[in-house]
Amino acid sequence: MRWIHAARARLRLLFARRAAEARMDEEFRFHLDMEAERLARAEGLAPAEARRRAVVAFGLAERHRDAMRDGRGLAWLDRLGGLALDLRLGGRMLVKYPGLTIVGGLAMAFAIWVGAVLFEMVMLFVSPTLPLPQGDRIVHLRNWDVQANRAESRALHDLVAWRQAMRSVTDLGAWQDVARNLRGSDGEPRPVRIAAITASGFRVAATPPLLGRAIVPADEDLGAPPVVVLGHDAWRARFGADSAIVGRTVQLGDAYATVVGVMPDGFRFPFAHDAWTPFRPTARDDAPRRGPGITMFGRLAPGATLDDARAELARLGQRAATELPDTHRHLRPQVMPYAQLFGGGSSMAETLGIMGLLQAFVLMLLVLVCGNVALLMFARAATREGEIVVRSALGASRRRIVAQLFAEALVLGGVAAAVGLAAARAALRQVGLPFLEATYRNVPFWIDPRLSPATVLYACALTVLAAAITGVMPGLKITRDLGSRLRGGTAGGGTARFGGVWTAVIVAQVAVTVAFPAITLLEVRELRRIQTYDVGFAADRYLTVQLRREAVPEAGADGDTLIAADRARFGTLAEALRQRVAAEPGVVGVTFADRLPRTKRGDHRVFLDDSTSIAAAGVRLGRDAYRYTKIARVDPSYFDVLGAPILAGRGFQPADLAPGARVAIVDQGFVDQVLLGRDPIGRQLRINLGTTPIAGAQVDSLPFYQIVGLVKDLGMDEAEEPDPGIGLYLPAAAGSAFTPHMLVHTRGDPMAFASRVRAIAGALDPTLELSEFQRMDRVADDLVWTWEMFMRATLVMTGVALLLSLSGIYAVLSFTVARRTREIGVRVALGANRRTVIAAVFRRPLTQVGIGIAVGAALIYLGADVLSRTEFRNAPIALSPGQVALLVVYAAFMLGVCLLACVVPTRRALGIQPTEALRDQS
Amino acid sequence: MTLRSQSDALRGSLDLLVLKTLSLQPMHGWGIAQRVQQISDGALEVNQGSLYPALQRLEQGGLITSAWGTTDNNRRARYYAISAAGRRALGAELESWRRFAAGLEAVLRTT
Repeated sequence: MRWIHAARARLRLLFARRAAEARMDEEFRFHLDMEAERLARAEGLAPAEARRRAVVAFGLAERHRDAMRDGRGLAWLDRLGGLALDLRLGGRMLVKYPGLTIVGGLAMAFAIWVGAVLFEMVMLFVSPTLPLPQGDRIVHLRNWDVQANRAESRALHDLVAWRQAMRSVTDLGAWQDVARNLRGSDGEPRPVRIAAITASGFRVAATPPLLGRAIVPADEDLGAPPVVVLGHDAWRARFGADSAIVGRTVQLGDAYATVVGVMPDGFRFPFAHDAWTPFRPTARDDAPRRGPGITMFGRLAPGATLDDARAELARLGQRAATELPDTHRHLRPQVMPYAQLFGGGSSMAETLGIMGLLQAFVLMLLVLVCGNVALLMFARAATREGEIVVRSALGASRRRIVAQLFAEALVLGGVAAAVGLAAARAALRQVGLPFLEATYRNVPFWIDPRLSPATVLYACALTVLAAAITGVMPGLKITRDLGSRLRGGTAGGGTARFGGVWTAVIVAQVAVTVAFPAITLLEVRELRRIQTYDVGFAADRYLTVQLRREAVPEAGADGDTLIAADRARFGTLAEALRQRVAAEPGVVGVTFADRLPRTKRGDHRVFLDDSTSIAAAGVRLGRDAYRYTKIARVDPSYFDVLGAPILAGRGFQPADLAPGARVAIVDQGFVDQVLLGRDPIGRQLRINLGTTPIAGAQVDSLPFYQIVGLVKDLGMDEAEEPDPGIGLYLPAAAGSAFTPHMLVHTRGDPMAFASRVRAIAGALDPTLELSEFQRMDRVADDLVWTWEMFMRATLVMTGVALLLSLSGIYAVLSFTVARRTREIGVRVALGANRRTVIAAVFRRPLTQVGIGIAVGAALIYLGADVLSRTEFRNAPIALSPGQVALLVVYAAFMLGVCLLACVVPTRRALGIQPTEALRDQS
Repeated sequence: MTLRSQSDALRGSLDLLVLKTLSLQPMHGWGIAQRVQQISDGALEVNQGSLYPALQRLEQGGLITSAWGTTDNNRRARYYAISAAGRRALGAELESWRRFAAGLEAVLRTT
């Protein structure tokens, strides 16, 4: 207990320094007053005399004060004062050695930058938080089909049941994605992402509307007037932030709805939505496992935990499984934090695994970079050896000296952290969200990459660690055996040495600097391949747009007929759109395809009517022998509009669309790789149009298709793939048979035509939904962007490695020369010629750089070998002679630059006057 | 014996006097000085100013505590009181002091 009391007293004194001073003064004053009064009373002295005597008796007040100040035990503060001094000294060092500051600072900033960006991005997924009031209590509920191993989203029945039964989750609700064209005040219909959501969604989100009201339960009644709540973006962009919007009627698709409210900026619940309509499933949809796919949410009841909800839901799930065995036997209800809706719910183990990997990577990078900076710091500390020895002699403990070096590193690290964090902030802003959008297309509102306080804290921890490595390590090394060094004298050659570790570090760095550009070359090659890929037609002359149609359910119709009618209508609309667009001036042709060239398609199995080709290919012969091909469904006019001539046979004709026609056109890749060069025309084959593999009798039941034509390769494989791919085309009617992309061949700039197409479609039918307008040669843009990012990252890393190795070599060499001043001087004095001296100085860095380049070259060779066996099997990775030459030139350049780093120290060495060197000996 | 010189042993005896005085009742600094003087009949004179660093040291050591209070004539003063740890320390100190004094006495008697 005593120590607690002591600590408290000490703390109080420490933090209440001024209070302590005031207390001291008051006590002294009181004492003097009392003493003076006593003297006046007891000895009858005049007040002034009594006062004087009291002061004399008290002694020198200032001395007592000092004694008390000392007694406050602020050796602590003293030490802090020492740290402050060290930090100031560190700051001065930054200015005094700008080279080290820039190189070391940049390297550390790089490590901290990488660490911060990775940490932030990983944290977004590992521990996402909903930026809503009490967002951590919002949950997502779903049924998991253990048999199919996927979520069952048709859960209207369960929603109703759970809503009635559940106590641990309140405000249970659901939403559905709805895409509708919203006609803005400019009269143009544009798609908005709408959530058809239960009124409870707004209670769960607990965000009041900016204008008007949110959706209320009464809106969900089937007979209620249609209403819509607008998001801030849609309101601003489409209605010019009109404050009188509430109460106005807007056109949504082919229907009208009254705007009842506008939500505040940033509100995009439940996912990334721009508008909200009431959730109104028709009554018959709530049969078990029927109806639309929905996403359910709720809020944990006050006092309830996620585990309570899990337990309750498990009970409900069991009950449903017994009561509705036909539909619910394999369904297991689940409840999880709402944020796990995106990126999948990762378990604790996975989370720890990811975090562990991240930490390992960042720490490795940090240790690597800081190890280098430590090398530089050590070289600097070594030049200050004399100072350190003297300080030690004057009584500085080893700890004190190391602390000073740590403080210096901390100052450097602090500056580096500021730079690194600023860069991380910029990177997250510029690259973070675009990267996520390119990867996931649809990013939920709670994924917002920016510098969070946790990330800043993390960066601070990294900084301290970096300072510990770069400061303490050299400090410990330089202060080893200080005593003996003190005895050995301070002048002339010190005894600090660079060990084998530093040599290894330099060799590794040179190797990395040599090997990384090879990666860059690879990336450049990949980029160029993607960008210059010849898709077989003038893709930059085509405008493409994805065509969809809002599902407009008509009450009373049966499901299947409804779908059929809907499709037929879509087909008619697509055809009408084609004719109107084709009639526009500047349009050469219009056609449709299910997917764009160079985008991803599934692989399908084809079964040839004979197996000779497969036998020839060395594949096991059998009835089920098959090959894989990509399949495209295209409008009969596809090849004409693309300007791709039919190489053999005939093209598609409108008659091929008839149900029993069953014709196909194959591309050159198909002939080369499936038919092994034989004539395709007239050949029969079976096609598995599904994606689940089939065999045996199932294959026999498939109808035969006949190949009627051959075209050149038209980009049937996705852009990542280096090959043109293997492709088979089937004729189909746009809209009714597949959801089409429309391809418009224009004379002028295709993109200039986009708004015209939009206007035509809007006038034709407001339920036609147009999205992803782009020039066809831009389909690979996301991919190109990603590759460019990789390339930049590689370049930056190469730059950092280059910088570090150069400065490392420079530092080591300067250090060595400084150490060998006397030796060189003696040699020169004894008449050694310059060449010998240069050779002696250069031998070590030359060896290091040489080994580094050799190791780097070996790495390139090995890497290329491994890659050519795995990833790039089909595209031999072997570097072309030109690229090899480039790498050789680069290696020579590296060698030259490294040697350049030796020039200054060497000149210094040669400039040593023998007399000076000998005087150094004193 | 005066307490003007500042060797460690004497500082120890000042601590002892302060603790002893406070063990009777809580007291402010001036009062402690007066009490020591009174009880020793003026034989021990505390250098009044150096009393305060000693009080601070004892307080930091957790042997005494302090709080603001009011004197009889209604003046604000810092009152010191002995803590439990202080009482234990006083007991131990008294014991060793007595042994020391007895030893000293015995030596003085024989020579």
